[in-house]
Amino acid sequence: MNIDLATPSAPNLDAIFAALADPTRREILTRLAGGEATVNEIASPFEMSQPAISKHLKVLERAGLVTRAVDQQRRPAKLNAKPMRDAVDWLEAFREFWLGSFDQLDGLLDQLKHEEKD
Amino acid sequence: MMTELPVYVLERAFNAPRALVWRTWTEPDLLAKWYGPGVETVIHELDVQPGGQWLNEMRMGESSGYQKSVYTEVVPPERLIMLMSTTNADWELAPNPMMPDWPATLLTVVTFEETDGVTQMRLEWSPHNASPAQIACFAGAVENLGKGWGAGMEMLAQILADMQA
Repeated sequence: MNIDLATPSAPNLDAIFAALADPTRREILTRLAGGEATVNEIASPFEMSQPAISKHLKVLERAGLVTRAVDQQRRPAKLNAKPMRDAVDWLEAFREFWLGSFDQLDGLLDQLKHEEKD
Repeated sequence: MMTELPVYVLERAFNAPRALVWRTWTEPDLLAKWYGPGVETVIHELDVQPGGQWLNEMRMGESSGYQKSVYTEVVPPERLIMLMSTTNADWELAPNPMMPDWPATLLTVVTFEETDGVTQMRLEWSPHNASPAQIACFAGAVENLGKGWGAGMEMLAQILADMQA
């Protein structure tokens, strides 16, 4: 689609979409929306090993959705909402392009039907 | 190797006979009137037959977006199948600068079904000749746009609202 969403700094939307595609990662994001958390804390509600959670966190980090403190031993993960906003905006724009087009088509069809009657 | 490609679907019912809806996709003056909300649509070519193409320019202020669609199947007034690509001003395939891993070409299937004067229009998009990275990117988007859209997006909207609170 050609949708004009040019911004000065293009976020890595591909990585964001790939990161968001996984339900576990989305749950991790929900958890982090409640505040920063360590791998241990994130892992506890999941039936998943710490290394598995760490792997998911790495994907989220690469997408820029999560940042992790480097200067602390606990290295708590923190949600970074900006890239997610970009992804949501892009998806919305794609959908709205077509829904907006459909609305225009609806109006056009009404007009054509009246013309045919005349 | 993915055996099944992700598909994104949009459907809409129009209170008009199918033959009329078909015309809005196949006559350039009509197509230009509805395709692209809030943009000036200029149709450079529209040749609706297998192998024919639709060259579309969308003017948004100073800048323009270009798309080329090549028809692979045309069954009036039931079905249109085309390969839709983002291009540069010379109609050469060009990736979307915002989405380098977005599939450059989407196989687009449009079907029209009429019941009692109401036409159900269904659009399906799937990646065409795409790399695994492009397919993954598209799958991620579909997950959120399609069936996961409601729950997934509501959740994300909530997260974003919480972040801004």
